[in-house]
Amino acid sequence: MNYRLRHRTTYSYDDVVGFARCVLRLTPRSSPTQTVLESEVTVTPAPSAELDRTGPFGARILTVTVDTPHKALVIEANSRIDVHVPPPGDPAQSPPWEQVRSAALAASDLGPDGPAAYLFPTQRTPIVPGITEYARASFPPGRPILAAIDELNRRINREFRYDPGATEVSTPVAQAFAARHGVCQDFAQIMICGLRGLGLPAAYVSGYLRTIPPPGRPRLEGADATHAWVSVWCGEALGWVGVDPTNAILAGDDHLVLAVGRDYADVAPIDGVILASGAQTLKVEVDVIPSLP
Amino acid sequence: MADDNSTAARRRGADQLKRWLDGYRTLPGAPDELMGLGGQPAEHWMGFLREIAGAASDDRFGMAARHIRDSGASYRIYGEEAERSWPLDPVPLILSQGEWDEISAGVIQRAELMEAVLRDLYGEGRLVGEGVLPAAVVTGSPDFLRAMRGVAPPAGRYLQVYAADLGRGPDGRWWVLEDKAQAPSGAGYALENRLVVSRAYPNLYTSLNVHRLAPFFDALRRGLAATAERDEPRICLLSPGPFSQTYFEQAHLARYLGFLLVEGDDLVARDGKVWVRTIAGLKRADVILRRVDSDFLDPLELNAASRLGVPGMLEAIRSGGVTVLNMPGAGVVESRALMGFSASLCRRLLGEELKLPNIATWWCGQPREQALVEAELEHMAVAPAFPGHAGPLAGPRLFADLAPGQKAELRARLADRPGDFVGQEVAQLSTMPVLRNGRLEPTPFVLRVFCAATPEGLRVMPGGFCRTSDGADVRAVFMGEGARTNDVWIVDDKPVERMTLIQTGEDVKVRRILGHLPSRAADNLFWLGRYLERTEATARMVRALCSSVMDSESALHGRGQTFEALRAILVDWGALKGDGGLAADAVRNSLQDASAWGSVINLVRSAKRTASGMRERLSADFWGLLVDLEADLAGGAGSIHNEAEALEQVENALRHLAGLSGLAQENMNRVAGWRFLDMGRRIERGANTCQFVRTLAHDEASIDDLDLLLDLNDSQITYRARYIIGLALNPVRDLVMLDPFNTRSVAFQVEALKEHIAVLPTLQEDGIAEAPSRILLPLAAELETEDASALFADNVQRYEETLFSLANAIADRFFLQGANAVPTVKLVGLA
Repeated sequence: MNYRLRHRTTYSYDDVVGFARCVLRLTPRSSPTQTVLESEVTVTPAPSAELDRTGPFGARILTVTVDTPHKALVIEANSRIDVHVPPPGDPAQSPPWEQVRSAALAASDLGPDGPAAYLFPTQRTPIVPGITEYARASFPPGRPILAAIDELNRRINREFRYDPGATEVSTPVAQAFAARHGVCQDFAQIMICGLRGLGLPAAYVSGYLRTIPPPGRPRLEGADATHAWVSVWCGEALGWVGVDPTNAILAGDDHLVLAVGRDYADVAPIDGVILASGAQTLKVEVDVIPSLP
Repeated sequence: MADDNSTAARRRGADQLKRWLDGYRTLPGAPDELMGLGGQPAEHWMGFLREIAGAASDDRFGMAARHIRDSGASYRIYGEEAERSWPLDPVPLILSQGEWDEISAGVIQRAELMEAVLRDLYGEGRLVGEGVLPAAVVTGSPDFLRAMRGVAPPAGRYLQVYAADLGRGPDGRWWVLEDKAQAPSGAGYALENRLVVSRAYPNLYTSLNVHRLAPFFDALRRGLAATAERDEPRICLLSPGPFSQTYFEQAHLARYLGFLLVEGDDLVARDGKVWVRTIAGLKRADVILRRVDSDFLDPLELNAASRLGVPGMLEAIRSGGVTVLNMPGAGVVESRALMGFSASLCRRLLGEELKLPNIATWWCGQPREQALVEAELEHMAVAPAFPGHAGPLAGPRLFADLAPGQKAELRARLADRPGDFVGQEVAQLSTMPVLRNGRLEPTPFVLRVFCAATPEGLRVMPGGFCRTSDGADVRAVFMGEGARTNDVWIVDDKPVERMTLIQTGEDVKVRRILGHLPSRAADNLFWLGRYLERTEATARMVRALCSSVMDSESALHGRGQTFEALRAILVDWGALKGDGGLAADAVRNSLQDASAWGSVINLVRSAKRTASGMRERLSADFWGLLVDLEADLAGGAGSIHNEAEALEQVENALRHLAGLSGLAQENMNRVAGWRFLDMGRRIERGANTCQFVRTLAHDEASIDDLDLLLDLNDSQITYRARYIIGLALNPVRDLVMLDPFNTRSVAFQVEALKEHIAVLPTLQEDGIAEAPSRILLPLAAELETEDASALFADNVQRYEETLFSLANAIADRFFLQGANAVPTVKLVGLA
């Protein structure tokens, strides 16, 4: 499936800002499940310095310095992506989950595609005994990993309420878990904590979900949003499998991956500092438009 | 007679020595440093003990202990605001030269090994790629910084300082218990311990051939300087700030080594380099010795919540514009998981066997090791494989010591996440003698040994940081409550070379000013000056209150117009709450009421807090006086029963304050730092005096009012000497406001300020006056030409306000909140 993708972020300030330095993680990365055809990031006002490098998780990272006085900073990423997720394998044929755990511990890949990077707790995804126990219910001894993940995926979707007002970016995962509600980020973090609690490698994926407008209505400009889900390493043979607990589905051709990391902190699209004292507001517009190849 | 005396002393010494040795009972199963493996006191210990015992009539240990207490070395336990003094034992750990040579060689080898491991992990990654190390041993560490992969360290090395915690096992060999590679602490404490203990035993060091520490620190400094591009690099010690557990040590090290002690806010990353914000603008930081953990170094790329780092620092490191040591990410080799692999890593990377074995360690992330540890748990220590918590564990514990509930929890966690744990052999470590109640007792200890990269290669500090626990558990020693420390002596069998720090070469440039003052330090000094002056003024008012109540000759008698004016100022200054109450209450409260923000005790505390953020810039005497002053005031609380006692307290406080200003005047270098302290003091004094004049020297002022004003202005004697007539309005006004010869007059303060501002650096050399000068110069001119008879209240109030706007202008121009250093703000929201 081919897409045109636009991700536009606007910071507006009350006072003039004379200096800004931003780390931009806005360039999608090609992988076995998607091919990035083209991608470009533009910043207004024009940066005085731009530095391009490969980030710690393999994605392209742009560091920009803006020292033109400005009252608004606009960062827009435009990409064309071909998503081609292979059909999932037969769950019954997947390896027992304990075997995946051992294989991950023994893995000899230090890079961002190996499982070892995603085995350990982080600040946003700590080991929470309650979440581990919640996940364990889907992981009886010897169960094939895809079957176990599928069940956990459905349980989270069924037992947690999707509530956009209930949590913020900084809400601790234990709090969202206890309240049984949240947004895609909370759903993903809960699943990651549960899997890592059992010793399984799970990654946080940020990206976009194609939304289908209601029948007979046009697609609204900028109405799409960023999305988050989980990628689980299921052994050498199966590799990484995308799981979307917010929608109780496996990630497929509607899921456009922007970045993969251990938690949100690794994939935040924009990290920045400005020299300023006044207030700031933020607006994000996203368009995911299916297109012809 | 003399012979008889010395014979008697010798006999007494021999008796004392015998009592110590006879009473010394080593712990069952544990080797002991004093008694050695053979159970006979070791010769290198006897030399020391004989000397001490011989002088025992003087109670050398007791003197040493007192000296240690008075020297005020201190540390802070996390979560505690108050510092505690460092409990230093008067008995040093003594090691022979032969033994030390083996330890040094082992520590140097281990430092090389860690360096080689880091070079591989952040470089080619062959150890993991070829299966020597499982990837999870690396990724499990929160100190593995992916962002640093492929980044060559600007100075070629990952580790500038490496440290190992050692203990001696039952077989007499030394074992590595832990590796320290992030930002090893303790070298500064070791230095402090040495300074203190060497004063306690002044001659022993030479007669026993104890190795000196100074050459090591000199080499460390040269090693750091050699990593910079520039010849005379600015070297900074990056501290997490005064609330860090080891802040005292950081301040001490910075001071001793001549480095600039900075915090994250002092630094800014621009154009691929890192700069210090100083009063002369941004100045390049060439080398940063960090005591901030890697994760907190750069909120832009690492932990976004960090307030301790510098946004953009990693970028500057990548572009080679700054050397940060140890290299961020170096802490990855500290994890215990890696210890299970060190022997094979050493063979592979160095082609050698480990000279110092580490304590036997099994990483449970491997099936065989996991099974072994699970089977032997009851006889093992378990520990988190990586820094931080793991299940119920925060550090190594003997499994057998855990409560049943914890054991079950640990077994379950181990089954789920075996990679989070290591099993470690339980080692019976050796004990050393410490002094308890006048007796020597064996106590377990851990020795931290430091190794630094120097221009002459890796070098080990001949000494170390030794910690003992109060308990008798030989198997584990933790820093924290109850832990003590000892100096470490390496004794040579031949005289050690006396290190002379004097360099004779042509390469030492004469210099009178030590770089530029960081803005934050200027800020702190300025406020310290203001707090001290405000304290003094408040104390003078309290003294006036006291005598008003006690002295029948006093003009105030605890009531009347003048008394009310005084009370009103104290209320206005926050020294008294409400209307201040009766005279007697007012005295006590303005001195000691901790709930009144402007009381003398609170002002002293503010001064102390400000001073504690720049200990490296204040002399030990200055700090000591400040500490005493607070202690006296706090100790006096509740003990004031009458005005006489209150007066005694105030007089004591004023004496301390006079001592502090004397030290500042006579003992501080007349460089920028002193100027900021003095400017703070003078602005505060000038403004306070204006307020006193407005309140007490208005057109309807009484004789009593003027009398009090002269008291507060400390100008009674000057006035009496100058005027035979009694008190009169215009002469008093002139003396306290305009007289340029009276050191307490407003005009004098303004002149002094003018002088300070004139010599401080300007940002641009365009000859245009900066804001502080633009405010100050007209004020000075006006005061010079003002006539006392025309000095209306309005004018005085304007002078007062001008002084405050001057304070703001100085802050804007020189401190961090100024226009030149707008705070950085994070971009917010889910972008």
